[in-house]
Amino acid sequence: MKSRLCLTLLVMFVMSLLAGAAIAQDSVGITVRCKASPPEEDWRCNSFAVVEEQVEADLGIDIDLNLIQDNAGWGDYKNEFVLASEAGEAPDIILSGHEDIGAWAPAGFIIPLDDVIPLHSEFDDIVPSLWDSHGYAGQIWGIPQDAEARPIFYSKLLLRDLGWSEEDIESLPDRVVAGEWTFADMLATAEAAIDEGVVDAGNGWWHRPSNGPDFLYYYYGHGGEVLNMEGNLVVDRDALVATYELLGGAVSSGVLRSDVIGLDWNEVWHPTVAQADTVLFAAGGTWNWPNWSINYVADKGGDEFLFENIGLTLIPAMATGNAITLTHPLTYMISSGSENPDVALALIAAITTPEHNNKHAIDSFHLGILNAQLESEAYANNRLLSSAHYMLDHTTALPNHPGWNAWSNAYFLGIQAVETGEADAAGAADIAIAQMQNELGDGITVR
Amino acid sequence: MSEPNSKAKSSAALVQSRRNALRSYLGAYGFMAPAGVLVIIFFLIPVAIVLYLSVTNLASSNFTSDLARMEFIGLKNYETLLNDQFARKIFFNTIFYVLVTLSIFNVSLALVVSLLTTHIDRSAGFVFRALWILPRITSPVVYILIWKRMMAEAPFGILNQFNELLGQPTYNYVSTNPWVFVVVVNGFIGVSFGMIIFTSAIESIPKDLLNASLVDGSSRMQRIRFVILPLIRWPLLFVVTYQTLSLLTSFEEILLLTDGGPGLYRTEVWSLTAFHRALSNYFGNAQWGYGSAFAVLLVLIGVVLAVIYMRVFRFDELIAEPRVEAL
Repeated sequence: MKSRLCLTLLVMFVMSLLAGAAIAQDSVGITVRCKASPPEEDWRCNSFAVVEEQVEADLGIDIDLNLIQDNAGWGDYKNEFVLASEAGEAPDIILSGHEDIGAWAPAGFIIPLDDVIPLHSEFDDIVPSLWDSHGYAGQIWGIPQDAEARPIFYSKLLLRDLGWSEEDIESLPDRVVAGEWTFADMLATAEAAIDEGVVDAGNGWWHRPSNGPDFLYYYYGHGGEVLNMEGNLVVDRDALVATYELLGGAVSSGVLRSDVIGLDWNEVWHPTVAQADTVLFAAGGTWNWPNWSINYVADKGGDEFLFENIGLTLIPAMATGNAITLTHPLTYMISSGSENPDVALALIAAITTPEHNNKHAIDSFHLGILNAQLESEAYANNRLLSSAHYMLDHTTALPNHPGWNAWSNAYFLGIQAVETGEADAAGAADIAIAQMQNELGDGITVR
Repeated sequence: MSEPNSKAKSSAALVQSRRNALRSYLGAYGFMAPAGVLVIIFFLIPVAIVLYLSVTNLASSNFTSDLARMEFIGLKNYETLLNDQFARKIFFNTIFYVLVTLSIFNVSLALVVSLLTTHIDRSAGFVFRALWILPRITSPVVYILIWKRMMAEAPFGILNQFNELLGQPTYNYVSTNPWVFVVVVNGFIGVSFGMIIFTSAIESIPKDLLNASLVDGSSRMQRIRFVILPLIRWPLLFVVTYQTLSLLTSFEEILLLTDGGPGLYRTEVWSLTAFHRALSNYFGNAQWGYGSAFAVLLVLIGVVLAVIYMRVFRFDELIAEPRVEAL
């Protein structure tokens, strides 16, 4: 009796081991790494959990999904992927800025997707222009996750104080698109607001307080280019000087603070701009809105307060005569170390639908990436998205090039020089160009 | 017969003497071995690796941990560094930062705090010293957040809130006086090290020497000048040396406070540049090779300074066997 019981237990134990082994054999491990500001951007990674079962059913496999999502700084986040790739521990899917394609594709850390994109019909519906920023060396290396616009936020509250009528305020975005209200007009309005005591000196216009993609649109707005037809880095001196003249002039006229670079994002910049009572114009990003609504003006009514007191418009026309913005799509890339790139892509395809992307777009005020999404009721009826989606027709983007960080760091040096008064516009351009030439050597052409 | 015997005896004695010497050497090296291994693993090997990285063009766009696959570019990174229009400024920033922080806080204020707290009630002295250690034991991130919150502009900063209450103008303190805050913030941390060393040195001065000076009619100041300071000369030199090298490589508080700004590298120091180049870049594509060139020069400066300090301050005398025992 005792030996029969032992035998039964042994058989059960062996069977459970075999069953476990069978499950483990069919289980496919997929790790996804996302950077997201909680809670509004959490769908970047969480969407994968929603579609996990569907993809399991479609592929007939068991997926062991591991989502790693936090709000680390971009520099640390990107280094983490580089080091993990070299250590053979890279996530299967990495979400990052499209410009990283310029560094990670030549390093061999991510795989090209041209051959497999046609296997998933979901990708056919992606807004065609978004693919432009996902190319490198003639191939596509990522799938767009979101898009956004980087607008000028204007304080309706302060414009009213300045004597603007409601009609003037509400029509501002249209006048900017038409080129009737230019960047020069914006600076003049800011000066008038300071002269009349509506805002303090230095609070007529704030740009971002640290290096980032936004600054490039001032250079684009003056006709500058970063890449030539051959895809090599170039710098246009005239556009550079004109950009620095604009920024330095804004400081010397009292519109822009000389110490705006260096202000703390969370301690000073966001809380000040979100209140709408201190800064007249602020250059930010659409995703700032839900952040302000949740974290800075929730006690005043959140979205309703913002709609009442803040509006957004394209960056008014500069020398080129066209109002612009800059889109910095985040992109899902598949690591070359992934053992299951087909499963990773299937998961990305499953969340590249209007239903899933709308959740992210609406919660975080990022713009849609799919044509069907733009026509969907949830997207079209969203007051915020409908007020900003047109900006994608006027957008620009960063280049995908390994030398981009050296270019942009040098360009930012010139901005710091001219705004702190350490150089005039021409001197700042000389500083930036000398820095580019020293670090990029033959890789940069000065025009 | 006696001659061979005496030869054999002297030979045996020689062998024994050599054995003793060898045993003595082995004992000494054996005791030094753990520290030696640590120095090799955590200093010499990393320095060798960084030295090699500095002659490659390693970046995120061609990153590999395989030394053989890295592209050798000779002294190109050093050439780029020397041609960098801000390298000279960053170098002198570093000298300024080290000299000012060291002289005002890490040595002078540390000495003053030690002298004051050893001349008051013992338990009160302990409390004051404990307060001065707080910046050292607080996490750098928390410590800098406290400073930022205190110094932030109106209406967010605590100091500016007082200014507003008193009807005074408000300031963006850190942006207006970045060096003041970089030095003060780092200095408050640095004081504790010297304070502990100096206090223990002062406390270990034989009481009869101190009492004798009082019996001889010296004032407190004279006792400090003519008795205490000469007797803590060695600890003073040690703190100067150690803290110079420590300040040369410290950057985390500057990174968190000003990130080298505002403007054109106004508070950027050499070690922070190495970090910025090799490890931290908003747009990615960190320049590991170029950053390593900055790091190698910092190691060289540190080694040269260490040798100069050891020679000038005659550290060999500090660690020499006391003459009374040598007799």
